[in-house]
Amino acid sequence: MIALKNISLKQGSFELSGVNLTIAAGEYGVLMGRSGCGKTTILEAICGLRSIESGSIRLGDEEVAGFPPAERGVGYVPQDRALFPTMIVREQLAFALVLRKQPQTQIAARVNELAKLLGITQLLDRAPDKLSGGEAQRVALGRALAHRPAVLCLDEPLAALDEELHEEMCRLLEHVHRETGVTVLHITHSPSEAKRLAGCHFRMENGKVTRE
Amino acid sequence: MSEPAQPKYRVASDKPFLIGLGVLAGSYLLIIGAMVLADLVFLDYGDQPILGNERVQQGRYAEGAVPIRVEAGRTYHFRLGKNEVALEHDEQMLAGKNLFKANTDEVRLQPRIPNAPITASLRPEALVIEIALTNHIATLTTDESHGLLWGQFIRVHGAGAGWDGVHEITDTTTNQLSIALPENSAATPKTLQLSKPNPLVQALRSRDIQFSIMLSLISCTITTLMSIWVAVPIGYIMSRFEFRGKPLIDTLLDIPIVLPPLVVGLSLLILFRYAPDWLSDSVVYKWPAVVLAQFMVACAFAVRTMRVTFDQIPHRYEQVALTLGCNRQQAFWRVILPQAKGGLLAAATLSWARALGEFGPILVFAGATRQKTEVLPTSAFLELQAGRTEGMLAVSLIMIGAAVIVFLIARTLGMKRVFA
Repeated sequence: MIALKNISLKQGSFELSGVNLTIAAGEYGVLMGRSGCGKTTILEAICGLRSIESGSIRLGDEEVAGFPPAERGVGYVPQDRALFPTMIVREQLAFALVLRKQPQTQIAARVNELAKLLGITQLLDRAPDKLSGGEAQRVALGRALAHRPAVLCLDEPLAALDEELHEEMCRLLEHVHRETGVTVLHITHSPSEAKRLAGCHFRMENGKVTRE
Repeated sequence: MSEPAQPKYRVASDKPFLIGLGVLAGSYLLIIGAMVLADLVFLDYGDQPILGNERVQQGRYAEGAVPIRVEAGRTYHFRLGKNEVALEHDEQMLAGKNLFKANTDEVRLQPRIPNAPITASLRPEALVIEIALTNHIATLTTDESHGLLWGQFIRVHGAGAGWDGVHEITDTTTNQLSIALPENSAATPKTLQLSKPNPLVQALRSRDIQFSIMLSLISCTITTLMSIWVAVPIGYIMSRFEFRGKPLIDTLLDIPIVLPPLVVGLSLLILFRYAPDWLSDSVVYKWPAVVLAQFMVACAFAVRTMRVTFDQIPHRYEQVALTLGCNRQQAFWRVILPQAKGGLLAAATLSWARALGEFGPILVFAGATRQKTEVLPTSAFLELQAGRTEGMLAVSLIMIGAAVIVFLIARTLGMKRVFA
């Protein structure tokens, strides 16, 4: 689960305070709001990429507010995907597992499993600059899921995709959510996307998050 | 048939703009190419004859040509100056500068205008008339003064094994010169020919210049390694962290770029006056001073390059790496540095090239002692000071060669695909 209680943070002149948000374990949460209202900031706070001034962040059963990002057990897919340009797809998928010093055979098995789940088996030896938008999105998703995080943070994952791919990726996200049972926080400003995917629906307005 | 539709709104042609771009870019490229080409062409790559004393007397032309006595059967080298039109020899008119073999007892200089000063030159080729060999030292006597100096190189032809080839002159008098021969040389020949190897060979054979090539290559490489070692952390800090006093540090980092290089050398020299004796004794006017002087300037450029490189890598990559399980150090080594490879290579080549060309600070801080602190720019300077333009050019060509090789290596490494 994801539980934010009374989060306040400051970033230059931008300020948020008293933000609350709870997503039950295994639920698919969609957060909507205008551009620049602080959605991404909340996401970064959950991932540990932005420090909070006060409040508590619980992921699963752990209070993670003081943890470095590496120890929070989150998967993060940023808006621009940020695939590592120097690694082929296989290396991107294996990255989190190599860091955890898992044995080669287990890593290979997990990479194949992920590739199958996301339908990118034939892309494993490609460089990221040779991937289309949809393919890159799948790889970014796979990279974030490799270490079996309890929480998956998606920052406008479908924003840059065309209509056809959009539907395909929605189906894929549903499929991944069902297969892995991961708790998802998905940021978007497309109402149709929210309606299509959301298990629970949040709106961010004037620095507050409300459940709908 | 209707006429093709004419658009209502028309823009001016792109041609003037594109031609302008082409002309500006092209003229600069042309100058670069012409400059290097001029260096390559100016140098005389052939051997030069060894010439005796000037035969043309100083003076002015009166009416008509000036006769000069020559020895029939001997080879002469002539060079016309701005006041001559031709050298008349055996009813032929010779122009420019060249060698010719005299058939007559007299040649005549044809002036361009009467009463002008004589500007031509005519010198006989010096011939070896006596060869003596003692203790593997060959002493050659020439019939004309040869004008060669101790430490220069000559080439011997047509004399057999051990004799033929380029030798360093070990001793000279006006009409004699000595060379050392290897142990198993052929017996003393009856005759032999001498010539002066081209300046490039002279430079490459000279021990002073060999030393300066070595010192340049080694010091530039050390400087480059040190610069990268320092520039990567500074570039990373300046790109990734915000802290108080950052603008001040930014300015400090630019000082070596902004300061005149000579001042950098002087500042180092003065700084080391305050250093403990053991330290300044082992640095100032020694080879470490060469490296330090190069480093101070080259590193500033490497820092700039690395900073820009890291600035161009979005923070996003690190952030993703952090969520995937990296600490900052792992994110740096595994994700950021591999992406900075191009910049790293650029910084390395830039600092290597800067270091190779560094002259002012080295002259001030390390001196210009042959076989001690002489690097290639110092050699070029010393050659120029001694009035040997050709020697300077030869050293310059060696530097151009070294720079080209390093850039080619860097390019090849840079071109290598990340995904083999």
